[in-house]
Amino acid sequence: MNQRMESVEKWAFFVKNNPKKWKKIHTEFINSQFKKSDDFIKRLLNQKDGIKKILELYHIENMRGYLGLFKK
Amino acid sequence: MKREANKSLLDKFCTDFCKIIEKHTDYIIVSGFLAVASGRPRGTEDIDMIIPRINFDKFEKLHKDLIKSGFVCMQSGNPKNIYKLYLKDNLSVRYTYKDKPLPEMEIKFAKDALDEYQLKTKTKLKLTGLDVWFGSINMNIAFKEEYLKSEKDLEDARHLRIVYGRMVNESEINEIKKMIRRLRL
Repeated sequence: MNQRMESVEKWAFFVKNNPKKWKKIHTEFINSQFKKSDDFIKRLLNQKDGIKKILELYHIENMRGYLGLFKK
Repeated sequence: MKREANKSLLDKFCTDFCKIIEKHTDYIIVSGFLAVASGRPRGTEDIDMIIPRINFDKFEKLHKDLIKSGFVCMQSGNPKNIYKLYLKDNLSVRYTYKDKPLPEMEIKFAKDALDEYQLKTKTKLKLTGLDVWFGSINMNIAFKEEYLKSEKDLEDARHLRIVYGRMVNESEINEIKKMIRRLRL
């Protein structure tokens, strides 16, 4: 078994054996990823053609749904 | 209350979205988010949802309810276009919160007997702490091992096998894998 799969198993057993502990750690990890994405979007909006880049990156065809983001 | 505080942004998005969908039709959450909600520590920006093939009138009501509740469709604001250009042709459409490109809910219609079986065997998973319907554990393991097969998917499957232990049924997984080979490969 490779090292990655070993660490997958190790964490899975932690989840299984610690039903009250894993969620808090996991939620912090997931939320930090979205914080990073939000920061990235803000940085992109400050660039030249930032709106165009966001539309392309996230495949947004319905620009009207995101006008509030682009006005900030 | 404590449980609510422990919910991730992805959990909240999924729950908010499913509350609207369930007023209009059946649904299941499948694939990556099922693994993530079950504790897999990996990145995902979208959640995959399958709904039964509904007619346009029903879809229009569902779409309008989503808009009223603060969601937007990334492809179009026009329900006719969403239905005719995407869903009707078995293409997925993506919804997000208004003004926020992430996270996304990717919705598609059930396209064959396998999807219909998934809808029929939907389940709620206590481990996730979420009051939403998921595709069954056995179905998701089978899909990841037999159909998707990327390193990430095989890791997801291994994770699910461990955390759901006794819910894993090898004979059902093998039957589903046979169906996958017959209908999708």
